[in-house]
Amino acid sequence: MRKSDRYRYLIILAGLVVLEFTVRDRLGDKRIAPDFLLLALLIYTIRAQPGRSALAGFVVGLLRDALTPTSFGAGALAHTLVGYLSSWAKAVFFAENVFVNGCLFFAGTWFRNLAVALASGGLDRTQLGWELLVWSPLQSFTTAATGVLLLWLFGRALAMRPGGSEV
Amino acid sequence: MSPAADRYASRADTLIFLGCVALAVAAMSAPDAWRDPIAQGLRQTVLAPFLALQQQTDLLSAARARYDAVVAQRDSAALAATFLPELRSENVRLRSLLGLGAHLGWGYVPAEVLHQPEPTNPLMFVVSAGRKDGVRPLSGVVSPEGLVGIVATVDRQTSVVMSWAHPEFRASAIAADGSVVGIVAPHGAAGPGVWLLELQGVPYRQQVADGTVILTSGLGGVFPRGIPIGTVVGLAGEATGWERTYLVRPAVHPAVLSHVMILTAGRADIRGAFQADSVAP
Repeated sequence: MRKSDRYRYLIILAGLVVLEFTVRDRLGDKRIAPDFLLLALLIYTIRAQPGRSALAGFVVGLLRDALTPTSFGAGALAHTLVGYLSSWAKAVFFAENVFVNGCLFFAGTWFRNLAVALASGGLDRTQLGWELLVWSPLQSFTTAATGVLLLWLFGRALAMRPGGSEV
Repeated sequence: MSPAADRYASRADTLIFLGCVALAVAAMSAPDAWRDPIAQGLRQTVLAPFLALQQQTDLLSAARARYDAVVAQRDSAALAATFLPELRSENVRLRSLLGLGAHLGWGYVPAEVLHQPEPTNPLMFVVSAGRKDGVRPLSGVVSPEGLVGIVATVDRQTSVVMSWAHPEFRASAIAADGSVVGIVAPHGAAGPGVWLLELQGVPYRQQVADGTVILTSGLGGVFPRGIPIGTVVGLAGEATGWERTYLVRPAVHPAVLSHVMILTAGRADIRGAFQADSVAP
C-alpha cells in the first residue's frame, strides 16, 4: 500500500464520522438515511483482522450507546458482532469486488439493526416486523449505495487488504 | 469454524471478540447507576467535539432558515410599502370626508365612486347611492375639497354624476368676499385647458385678482351657497365693453376621488362646512 493511500484511507474514515454528525440529520428520515458511522466501521473491517474489527465495533457501538442510553450496551453488542463477522466473512468467503462489498454493506447494516432491535428488546412484534422488513432494508440500501459510491471513487485506498489485490 | 476461517481469525482475534461481547453484555445488564456515568463520561470526552460539531451544524441550518424567513418578510414588507402612499392618500381623504360629514351634520349621503373616472374621461362617473338613499336628480355632489359635480340620473341603488368637466355643467358662482358673481363652466373639452373652469359673465369694470377663491352662490337653488369651486388663476378673455372671463383652477379633480357626498336636503348655505384651506389660493 502506498503511503498516500494510507492517508487517504484515514481521511475518508474521518470524513464519514464527520458526515454522521453534520449531514445525516439533513438527509430526511433517520430510519432510512445512510449510516455513515456504520459504513466507516464496515470499510474498516475490509482491511482489518477480525479481532481489531470486533474491538472497533465495540467502541463504535459504545459511543453510539452513549447517545441513546436507554439501550446501553445493545449497540456495543450489535456492532461487535457486525465488525467481527464482517471481517471474518470478508476474509473467508468474499472476493474483492465492488458489488460484493456493496452486499456486505447491505447485510451488515440490516444485521446490525436486527441485533440492536433484539438486544434492546424495546420493540413489539409489529414494530419489529416493520423495522426488519421496511425501514432496515431501506437504510441498508442507502448505506450500501453510499459505500459503493465511495469504493467507486476511492477504491484503491479503501478496499485493499494488506498484501491483497485491488478492488 | 472452517480451516480458512482459522487462517484469518486467530486465537487472539477470537479472544478479543469474546471479550468485547462479554463487555457489551455486561454493559446491557449493568444497573442504571453504572450506565449513566459511563455514558455521560463518553459524551463529555470522546463525543464532545462531535456533538459540538453537530450543534454548530444545527445552528448554521437554523440561521439559514431564519435568513430565508427574514428575506421573505423583507420582500413582503417592500411589496406592501409600494401601496403605502396610495393607502395614506386614501386615509387622508376618508378622514377629510368624515370631517366634512361632521361639519355638514345632516342632509347628505356618503357614496363610493364605483366607476372611477379615467384621467382622460372624467366627465361622468357612477356612485353607490341611489333613490333608496334619498338621492334625487340635480343633487349637488361634493368632496372635502369642494364641488365635484351634479347628479344626472338616479337608479334605485346607484346614481350617475356629471362632473364639473362635462361641457353642459354650469354653476352660479361668487367670489369668497362676495365682490364678484358669475357663471362657472368648463373651459374646454380638449387641449391644455380641459382641466380648468372659467368664470363667465363678470362685468367688464370689475377686476378679479389671481388667487381669489370662487364659491357657489346658491342662486338657482341647485347648489347651496358656499361650496368651493376653485381659485382664479388668470384672465381667459374679454368681450370689449361687456364682460370678462377668468380661468379658474378647480378645487377637486374627479379622477382622484374614491368617496363623495351627495347633498340631499335643500340647504341654502353650507359655507361653514368646508375648511378654510380646502381651496389653496
